[in-house]
Amino acid sequence: MSQVIFLKGLMLGVALAFILPILLPPGRRWRVPGGIVLGLGLGLGIAALVPSGYLSYFIGFMTMASIYAILSLGLNTQWGYTGHLNFGVAGFFAVGAFTSALFTIEAPTGLAAQYTQVLFGLKMPFVVGVMAAAVVSGAVAFLVAVPVLRLRLDFLAIATIGVAEIIRLIFQNERWLANGPQPLRGIPQPGRCLFETRHCEWVPDSLAWIIEPLSTRDYTAFYLMIVAGCLALVYVVLERACRSPWGRMLRAVRDEETSAAMSGKNVPFARVQAFVVGAVIMGIAGALYAHYTVAIDYSHFHALFATFLVWIMLMLGGSGNHRGAIVGAILVWGVWAGTAFLANALEPLLAAIHQDLPGRAQYIRWLLVSLLLAAVVLFRPKGLLPEEMRVSRYVPDPKRR
Amino acid sequence: MILRFWKPISEASMPLLKAEGVSAGYGDMEILHDVHLSVEAGEIVSLIGPNGAGKSTLMKTIFGLLHPKSGTITYRDQPIHGRKPHEIVGLGMCYVPQVANVFVTLTVEENLDMGGYLLNEREIPKRRERVYALFPKLYERRRQRTGKMSGGERQMVAMGSALMLDPDLLLLDEPSAGLSPKLVDEIFDNIRRINAAGLAVLMVEQNARKSLQMASRGYVLANGENRYDGTGQELLDDPDVARLYLGG
Amino acid sequence: MPDNQPHQSQPQLPADERRLGERVRGVIRTRGFLMATLVAILVAMYLAGLATGASAQRLLALTAWGLMLGGIIALGSIGLTLIYGVMKFPNFSHGALVTLGAYVAYTLIPLLPTGEVLRPLSFGYEFLIALVLAMPVVGVVAMAIDRVVYRRLRNTGAHLVLFAMASLAMAFFVQSMIYLIWGPDFHFYYPGRPNPALYLPFGIRVRADQLFILLLALVLVAMMYVLLEWTRMGKAMRATADNPHLAQIRGINTERVIAWTWVLGGGLAAAGGIMYGLSSQLRPEMGFWLLLPMFAATIMGGIGNPYGALSAALMIGIAHQVSTSFLDPTYGPAVAFVLMVVTLLIRPQGLLGRTER
Repeated sequence: MSQVIFLKGLMLGVALAFILPILLPPGRRWRVPGGIVLGLGLGLGIAALVPSGYLSYFIGFMTMASIYAILSLGLNTQWGYTGHLNFGVAGFFAVGAFTSALFTIEAPTGLAAQYTQVLFGLKMPFVVGVMAAAVVSGAVAFLVAVPVLRLRLDFLAIATIGVAEIIRLIFQNERWLANGPQPLRGIPQPGRCLFETRHCEWVPDSLAWIIEPLSTRDYTAFYLMIVAGCLALVYVVLERACRSPWGRMLRAVRDEETSAAMSGKNVPFARVQAFVVGAVIMGIAGALYAHYTVAIDYSHFHALFATFLVWIMLMLGGSGNHRGAIVGAILVWGVWAGTAFLANALEPLLAAIHQDLPGRAQYIRWLLVSLLLAAVVLFRPKGLLPEEMRVSRYVPDPKRR
Repeated sequence: MILRFWKPISEASMPLLKAEGVSAGYGDMEILHDVHLSVEAGEIVSLIGPNGAGKSTLMKTIFGLLHPKSGTITYRDQPIHGRKPHEIVGLGMCYVPQVANVFVTLTVEENLDMGGYLLNEREIPKRRERVYALFPKLYERRRQRTGKMSGGERQMVAMGSALMLDPDLLLLDEPSAGLSPKLVDEIFDNIRRINAAGLAVLMVEQNARKSLQMASRGYVLANGENRYDGTGQELLDDPDVARLYLGG
Repeated sequence: MPDNQPHQSQPQLPADERRLGERVRGVIRTRGFLMATLVAILVAMYLAGLATGASAQRLLALTAWGLMLGGIIALGSIGLTLIYGVMKFPNFSHGALVTLGAYVAYTLIPLLPTGEVLRPLSFGYEFLIALVLAMPVVGVVAMAIDRVVYRRLRNTGAHLVLFAMASLAMAFFVQSMIYLIWGPDFHFYYPGRPNPALYLPFGIRVRADQLFILLLALVLVAMMYVLLEWTRMGKAMRATADNPHLAQIRGINTERVIAWTWVLGGGLAAAGGIMYGLSSQLRPEMGFWLLLPMFAATIMGGIGNPYGALSAALMIGIAHQVSTSFLDPTYGPAVAFVLMVVTLLIRPQGLLGRTER
């Protein structure tokens, strides 16, 4: 096994070691160590056996799936745990992406400033950008929540669609804010300096030899590691929070609002809290997306990609179940990516039907995922992994013991 | 006022409505267990029992709003279990639910028209006249929306709409619920008048004593099972029934 | 005893004995206050337009165009409000039905014999025939979707959320079909055909097509009035919207009523889409763009109330156009959104909605 393959396999393995323990059935003692070992082994194995073209496809696939999984977790906090019908995921996703971008890029000067206008470019580190994305997305959610969360469920859905659309319009029209309809380019990637110049300010040069054999193209595996780590972190925090009294309060507010209020819970505040926490997570996902794609513009935050797909993921996986949310994200992203191949494969057939059809093959994906959502709603509304009605980790689960 | 001029009660021996071995409920929860009940033409049958006994559930099951898990329900020897409410109405049986029994956004007249939805359009005004003759108060307020009317008036609208189809059997679910004592007497008077015109009535009543007094027969339901059957007088005289279900 | 009189007002203390906050809230919740607020917002928009240098004449012209746009929004939102009222869920696929209507007419027009152009309008009889044919086509599509998807959900007694979710799925389904069949390009009903503006008093210039749109909206609303107030099916629709259980008990086949509601709602959506296509161009996303204004009109007018939807739609259309005097025109949906949120905060049952619920 060459050093390059080993290093790539290691990075992929670390990423999988973050994700696999989540996917394994909970409640078993071997879940975490087993998942880590399995992840590392799988990563090395894939890197060794799979040709590099497919490997980088797989890495890209896992990165997007993980970002969607974080979005799906955010939506799960809002919908699965608290019952907020948020049809405006795209809005918070966009706010997070643009915020992190503005915090980390360098404000253009001179001639470039005429082509790229930004409100500010702070050139801060990646971590600050992600945190700023979380804070700003949470703040926007708070502003939206105060008037809107009092509304009936169906009105909330309509209002959040509106919020997302308006956020998109702002990023489309306001040139001074984030370069208007033109893409905002040059979003820095964390640790990319290591791959490009073999030198980063925050890494001692004595360690740089480790990645010496890797080229710039292998950076994606490094970024996947970061995204997977974030996913694992968000999962652990949410899992803790939702098994805590706070999580029980949210479910109580969702299922029995009156009794929750009579038990002395501040129901309106709890609802706002959950909405804001969900938006914070979506903002983090947005930041991770911005640093992954490097260039973003308003069209990335179309309701189809950033709201509809996330809903399918959560509904398929199982609302109210964090594992389900992640499983759903990976499966649906798999379907979405797989339908691209299907559309390609169907091209001759489509050409036989009508000469214009092959050019429109990409819309077959829309068709298939919309049918997938309809099928989930009709035949499996609770999703693949339904919510576990477990009160607390201190209370033994009757089913398991 | 006589609602109908002549209706032979020749089939008196044959029960109009007959329920046998009916078990029903919501989802997995079974509320009625093996319940039987029958109503013959022209009689008033009173269904009494404590709260949660399953009286309203039985009414809903008879009317096709719930489907029984087992058992048969026949109307004029025709099986009606598993059929939809709008089909059952056409057979000559009408139902006045306990709550939400008028269309609050519609006027009195429109409510009556909806009661006669299955009729020929030309027949409706004639039937309406008969209902107005029975409840003259409704005629005065025919252009008013029922949402703005009192509970007693709504009950009249609800009964009037149920009478539009000229049914043979009227199912009343707690017709006197939430009304003042004076209005309760008026409602019971109306039920007597309707029955005198030849309609059979099956009613659920909280006001058990009063309803048994005018009923030809009664059924006592408790915990979703039949407890006592008998004529109205028999049940009134039964010391157990009196102690347990009639408040001493 | 369960509360069986939800529409009777609560016994209230005399006004002066209530707390100040309650009295203020009581005033705010009234229809008059909502109306006044909305009018105040409109007036503020006119003033903002004047302040940014738009002439009074221009504002007047914008108002006239706003009425035409309002007519388009009204056609969509009347169907939406009917479906919302009877089925009790927000139909997120309504925008896609609007688009479908526009494209069906686009396909029909070349198939029909081309008639002489009806000057000063830009189209001939074939356009009117395509309009009349496309409406039932889209209505039947809407009904078929109901049969396949929503009826199953009704039969299982599914929660509103699943209906909303299913309608979102159907929105993308119909939209993807439109993309597949007609492609992503822009289309025009009559490319390159001139449609000069008419000169009306006060220097207003409108195209005859725009007047036709407004007229069609008013005629269709009048037809809706006749249907709902005077016909059996219309009354049954209102009864089903009011209380679906009781409707069944009274012998109404609610499934049939629901089917007709979809046909009607889909047909009106198609008319809205065709008018929208006539006034600008056909795009696969055109209905999605109208979705927010349509929902805003539905909520502002009071769910289930077609006359409310009409008046709210006209108001939204005017606000939309007047706002372009000081705001980028693409912010149109945002203007509708603001009016909707104001309505929801002041009086969620809308302008013509029922007082108690």
